[in-house]
Amino acid sequence: MTMTPTTPETIIETRGLDLWYGPVRALKEIAIPIRANRVTALIGPSGCGKSTLLRCFNRMNDLVPDCRVGGLVLYHGADINDPAYDVVELRKRVGMVFQKPNPFPKSIYENIAYGPRVHGERDRKGLDAIVERSLRQAALWDEVKDRLHESALGLSGGQQQRLCIARTLAVEPDVILMDEPCSALDPLATAKIEDLIDDLKQNYTVIIVTHNMQQAARVSDFTGFMYLGELVEYGETLQVFERPTKELTERYITGRFG
Amino acid sequence: MEQTFTVAEVPRVPPRSVNRESIISGLWLLCALFAVVIVFFILLFLVWDGLPAFQEIGLVPFLTGTTWSPTFVPPAYGILPLIVGTLLVTIGAMVIAVPLSIATAIYLSELAPYRVKVAVKPAIELLAGIPSVVYGFFGLIVLVEFLRITFQVPSGESMLAGAILLGIMSLPTIISVSEDAIAAVPREFREGSLALGATRWQTIRQVVVPAALSGITAAIILGMGRAIGETMAVLMVTGNAAIIPSPITNVLSPVRTLTGTLGIEMGEVAIGSLHYHALFAVATVLLLITLAVNLGATRILARLNARTTGRKKGVSLRLSGIVDSPQTGKVVLGLLALLVAAVIGAVGGLVSAGAALMVIIVLAFALPRLSRRRSQQLAFLLLYAAVGVVLLILAIILFDIVSKGLPALSWEFLTGSPRDLGRAGGIFPAIVGTLYLVAGSIAFALPLGIGAAIYLVEYRREGRLTRLIRVGVDLLNGTPSIVFGLFGLTFLVLFLGFGVSMLAGQLTLGLMVLPTIIRTTEEALRQVPQGLREGSLALGATRWQTISRVVLGPAAPGIITGTILSIGRAAGETAPILFTAVVFSQRYLPASVFDPVMALPYHLFILATNVPGAETNQYGTALVLILLVSAIYAVAIAVRTRYHTALRL
Repeated sequence: MTMTPTTPETIIETRGLDLWYGPVRALKEIAIPIRANRVTALIGPSGCGKSTLLRCFNRMNDLVPDCRVGGLVLYHGADINDPAYDVVELRKRVGMVFQKPNPFPKSIYENIAYGPRVHGERDRKGLDAIVERSLRQAALWDEVKDRLHESALGLSGGQQQRLCIARTLAVEPDVILMDEPCSALDPLATAKIEDLIDDLKQNYTVIIVTHNMQQAARVSDFTGFMYLGELVEYGETLQVFERPTKELTERYITGRFG
Repeated sequence: MEQTFTVAEVPRVPPRSVNRESIISGLWLLCALFAVVIVFFILLFLVWDGLPAFQEIGLVPFLTGTTWSPTFVPPAYGILPLIVGTLLVTIGAMVIAVPLSIATAIYLSELAPYRVKVAVKPAIELLAGIPSVVYGFFGLIVLVEFLRITFQVPSGESMLAGAILLGIMSLPTIISVSEDAIAAVPREFREGSLALGATRWQTIRQVVVPAALSGITAAIILGMGRAIGETMAVLMVTGNAAIIPSPITNVLSPVRTLTGTLGIEMGEVAIGSLHYHALFAVATVLLLITLAVNLGATRILARLNARTTGRKKGVSLRLSGIVDSPQTGKVVLGLLALLVAAVIGAVGGLVSAGAALMVIIVLAFALPRLSRRRSQQLAFLLLYAAVGVVLLILAIILFDIVSKGLPALSWEFLTGSPRDLGRAGGIFPAIVGTLYLVAGSIAFALPLGIGAAIYLVEYRREGRLTRLIRVGVDLLNGTPSIVFGLFGLTFLVLFLGFGVSMLAGQLTLGLMVLPTIIRTTEEALRQVPQGLREGSLALGATRWQTISRVVLGPAAPGIITGTILSIGRAAGETAPILFTAVVFSQRYLPASVFDPVMALPYHLFILATNVPGAETNQYGTALVLILLVSAIYAVAIAVRTRYHTALRL
C-alpha cells in the first residue's frame, strides 16, 4: 500500500449524520471525511449501516419510503440534502456500483451509452469513443469488443459487474460508490475487480463497502469500521488494521466478535 | 477533523429539467386522480338520479316491497323480489362453480403435468373471454331447452338456468385466483408434510388448501362479484318474472335480478319519470352490493399479502382457524346436505328428497372409513372429473356455436348490411361498429391507464393519496358493466348532450376497461427489478428518463397483454353500450362520432331475443363474435408466453 506524502483533500464529508427508517435509527451522528483520489473502505458486521451510509453519498436513500436524514452531507462543501441541490447532477458526479450486477436489458453498447445519452451526448462517434474508453478502463474491452451489440444479460456475473463499472465510468464521475461489488462473484472475478479498483484511484475517489476484511486491507487507503449505526473507528487502513484504537475494532478485525 | 477544501467550489448547477420532470409527474398524477374522480361522478350521478325515487317511495318500502310492477296502475316499486332473485342466482352459481373451480385449481397447481397445464390454462382463459351475450345466447337456445325437456316444465327459463350459466361464467375467475393462491404456498410445507409420511391427498387437504384458504376465499368473493354484476347472460335465461320463488328452493321458478331489471327496462323508460328514477335507485343498490363484495375480496387479498410478507397477522388467520375446526366443517356439510335435499324436494317431490338424504347420510358414514390409499384415489378421481366437466362445458359451447355458425358464414354475411330485421343479409356494419367502439375506448383508456399506473408505481410515496387512488381503482374494477351503461346514459348521453352516439359508447367502454389497464400495467411495472431503476438513477438519469428508457421497455409485454385483454373485453361487452351507443339496424356506417352505431354483441342480443326465425344468422353472429374475441385473446396469450421466456432475467 503506497501512501502519497501530501495530505489529500477532503471531497465528501458528513457531520452529525443521522438516518431513520421509520422509527428505526440506522445511522447515528456519523462524521467521516472522504479523501479525494483515495480508496475508502467501510467495514462492519451485517446491518451496521455501512450500505446505508454509502447510499447517503448519492442520495439513493431518497427511493426508500419512510427514510429521513438529519445532519450534513457535504460534497465539495455543499450540502447535498438541501432541497435546492440538483440530485440528478449529484448522481452524475457520484456514481454507484451495486451489490448485484444490474445491467439494463439492452445491448452491451447501449448499457454504456445510456449514461452519456441521458446527459445529452448524441454524436455517434463521440459515443463510440466513450464506450471503447470506458470498457478499456474497466478491463472488459478485449472480452466484449466483438459482441458490443449483443445483450448484456449474456455476460457472466463478473463481466456484468465490470460492465456496470464501465457504465459508471462512462459519465465521468468524481466519486465511485461501490456497495459490496464482489459479493456475488467468484474469486477470479473478484481479483479482477480489485485490480481495477487499484487503477481507478488515479482518477477517481472510491468508497467501497465490503464484508471481506482482507479485501478492505488489500484495496483501501482509509478504512471506517461501523457497528450498530455508529462509526466506531476511522483512519488510514494500515493503522486501523494493525493498531486499532478501539477494542471493538480489534475484536472485529481479529475475528473475536460477539 | 480539519477541513481542507482545496478544490474550487463547484458552481451550483441550476436545477436542470426539474420543471419538465414535475410537469410530467403532475400529468401522471392527474391520470391517476381521474379514476377517483370517475368513481365519485358515478356515485354522484346514480345517487342524484336515484334520490327522487327514494324520496317518493321511501327507503324502507322500496327495499322491502314485494311487488315490482312499475308499469301498472298504480305502479309498485318494491325491489325485494329483485334482491332475492339476485341472491338466489348468485348462491346457485357459487354452489355450482366453487367445487368445480377449486378442484380444477388444485388439479392445475398440484397434479397436472406441465404440458397439460400449458394446454388447459389457455382453455380456461378462453372461457373467460367468451362474451356474456354469447353465454346468454347459448343458454337461451341450448340450456333452457335442455332444462325444459329434462324437467318437463313449460319453460326452462329459470333460476336454475341463470345459476348454471353464471356458475360457468365465474369459473375462470375463481380458478385463476385460487390457482395463484395454491401455487403461492411454499414448497417446504408440502415437503414437510410428505416427509412425515402423509399421502399427497392428505398433504393437499390438510396443509396446502388450508394455507391457501384466504386466497381461495378472495377468489370466491371475486367470482361472486362477477356473478352479481352480470347482466346480459342472466337477463336472457332467467325468465325475468319479478317474483320470489315459492317455495324458495324451487330452482325451476323464473326470477328476475337487479341487473336484469336495468337491462330490460332502462331502454324503454320515459326519462325523468318516477320509474326512471327508481331504476337509478336499483342501480345504486346494485352498485353498493357489488362494491361491498369486491372491497371484501380486496381486503382479504391485501391481508394475505401482508401475512406472507410477515408484516401483519389478520383476518385470514382467524378465518382459517374457523374453517379448520372440525365442528365448522360438519355444520357446513350438514347445511349443504339439507339444501341439496330441499332443492331436490322442490323439483322432484318428497320421495326423491328422502332418497337424496339417505345417500348423503350413507356417504357421510362411509367416506371417513376408507383407507388412506382409497380416499386418495377417490379424491383424485373427483378432481379429474371436475376438470373433465369444466373442459366438457367449454367443448359443448364451442362445438354448438362453431358447428351451427359455420354454415352462416359467407362473403355476403361478412360484408353485407342486414335485411329483414337481420334474418337475412350480413353484419358488416356491426363488425365495423364494434371495431370503432373498441378502437375509441382503447385510445381513451390506454394513455390514462398507463399514466395512472406509472404514477402509482414509479412516483409512489405510499400515503393517503395513493391509498385513495387505489381504492378508486378497486371500486371502478368492481362496478358492474350495466352501471357503467347507466352512468354513460345519464352523464354522457343526457347531461353532456352527446346523444346515443359512438362517442358515448367509446367513453363508457373506456371507463369500463380503465381499471384492467391500470392493474395490469401496475403489475408489469412492479415486475421490473428495482436494481434497474437504481442503476439508471445512479448514473444521473432523471426519474422520467429512467422510466421511459429503462423501465417501460421490460414492462411493455405485460402492458401489451393487459391492453389486448381490455380490447377483448370491450369488444364483447353489451351492457355498457346498450343505452349509450347502439342501434339495431343501420344500413350505413356512422358518419361521425355523434352517430349511433351497430355492434356485434348487441346485434346478437336482439336477434336472439326479439327476432324469431333468425337462427342461422344468430349462430353466425355468435361465431364471428367468438372468433374476434378469441383471436384477440390468442394474441395476448402469445405475447405473454413469448416474452415471459425471453424476459427472464
